[in-house]
Amino acid sequence: MRALFKIGKRWLWAISALFVISFASNALVLDLSNRRIEIRYSFDGADIILFGTVGSSAEGSINDPFDIVVVVRGPEEATIVRRKEKLGFIWVNGSSLEFPAAPGYYAVAANQPLAHIAGRDDLAAAGIGFENLRLAYDAGPGKATLLPEFKQALFDLRTDQGLFRQEEDSVTMIGEGLFRMDVHLPANVPVGEFQVDAFVFQDGVFKDRARIPLVVDKEGFERAVYNYAHDYPLFYGLTAVLIALGAGWIAGVVGKK
Amino acid sequence: MTLYLPIAELSMNIFFVIGMGAIVGFLSGMFGVGGGFLMTPILIFSGVPPLIAVSTESNEITAASVSGVIGHWRRNGVDVKMGGMLVAGGGLGAVLGVEVLSLLESIGQSELIIKLAYFFFLGTVGSLMFWESMRSIYRQRTGYVPPPINREDRHKAWIHTLPFKMRFRKSRLYISALLPIGIGFVVGILSGIMGVGGGFIMVPAMIYILGMPTNVVVGTSLFQIIFVTAVVTINQSVSNQSVDVLLAVLLLLGAVIGAQFGVRAGAKLKGEQLRGLLALMVVLVGIKFGYDLVVEPTTLHSVATVANAGGH
Repeated sequence: MRALFKIGKRWLWAISALFVISFASNALVLDLSNRRIEIRYSFDGADIILFGTVGSSAEGSINDPFDIVVVVRGPEEATIVRRKEKLGFIWVNGSSLEFPAAPGYYAVAANQPLAHIAGRDDLAAAGIGFENLRLAYDAGPGKATLLPEFKQALFDLRTDQGLFRQEEDSVTMIGEGLFRMDVHLPANVPVGEFQVDAFVFQDGVFKDRARIPLVVDKEGFERAVYNYAHDYPLFYGLTAVLIALGAGWIAGVVGKK
Repeated sequence: MTLYLPIAELSMNIFFVIGMGAIVGFLSGMFGVGGGFLMTPILIFSGVPPLIAVSTESNEITAASVSGVIGHWRRNGVDVKMGGMLVAGGGLGAVLGVEVLSLLESIGQSELIIKLAYFFFLGTVGSLMFWESMRSIYRQRTGYVPPPINREDRHKAWIHTLPFKMRFRKSRLYISALLPIGIGFVVGILSGIMGVGGGFIMVPAMIYILGMPTNVVVGTSLFQIIFVTAVVTINQSVSNQSVDVLLAVLLLLGAVIGAQFGVRAGAKLKGEQLRGLLALMVVLVGIKFGYDLVVEPTTLHSVATVANAGGH
């Protein structure tokens, strides 16, 4: 316990909340240090902490040792992947594949390499890992043959942007059934609703799962500007021009002195 | 110190943004150009989605042109009637340019048209400017003075056959209104597609096609750019919600500071040298875009969300 208190006062509420909840009948209980991430002017990404505890339930108890896999997935948006192809001398966007609902953020973390926790089929059945994500795509002539390449490209591009983090973070086992994970949301994280899923495995067998929602949203000035631009685009444009005229006039008058 | 840009939906270092504005402002103050043809590519290269870069830069150019036109206005260097004709054509062209860009964005080819336009127009205009300035430097060294052109012979014969002739007192011209409308139209299209003011096309066209006296050329071109970039800004806001006012204001702040130093640096160089250097810079930017189109890209694939095309 002493080690736990060293973690810091700001997590105390979360930890104490967990001990209360853990008397409930679920074998797996989760909480986040922050369930609502607010994007404001100085937003530079966010780190939040997922807490979880594994204990007894009506169906039976899970005792050490067990494995935890956490999947954090972000807002699903229609996403298009394009491939540049050579047309004469120049490279032009050619083939494309549209995914009507691809996650904008996807992170998988575990307390040890996934391959050691469970078999490929068990992971696939639980839907863990980007390769096991069933992504619908807009059908068309020859589109099915593009799927493996374009899905991999989506994974690679978003991994480069820091939005897909498969086995880049890890789950820390604290002991006594308690675990934690640091969830890294980069500065370019898309806004929307997220789901945090945790899976318990024991000896390669799936035992339990739990889900907790997470919201990332723009707040304050950022939200106001964005809403104004999207709800009243004409007035936004006129305002932008007025600001430019005013700023330009001030710059011209001040600058010439 | 990072700042989250609400429309571009990305965080950028505030000093980096103001610094970009300052560098472009320095160059535009030094060479007496708007700088859109430099600012938009720099924004794209630094990770701002091309459509956001083009739209936001239009907004910044409106502001920069207002501050530029004040001095010309005081010097009586703005031909409002000629400017009005250029605006009439420019407004139409700008609407068409934005429509074309939005259409191409929806089929994934906006990047192609932006790069092709930059390569073609900057390459051509830059090469012509470079050749012209080299020639005048050579002529100065050898002491050759070209015979003066008679004011009556400035125009090619076909120009006088055009209808709707109009008197432009400040430019001391009696020419068809179709000419400035046509020039404005072409510049407006480029403004909508490339996120530039278009001075680099308009100024030579005003001098060599319209035959306007040089003392009203820059002021009148800035006058037109204010209105046309305003039309582009409003159109982009309505069609694509792609104008980031915060980014535009920060770029302007940098540009105003940079321009002060640029003007001083420019005063130390001769006119031909300045034009030669500017031409070289224009050509280099054009070549960079051409190079990007021809060389195999390091990543063949690109990803975009469909709801908010071009952004995240």
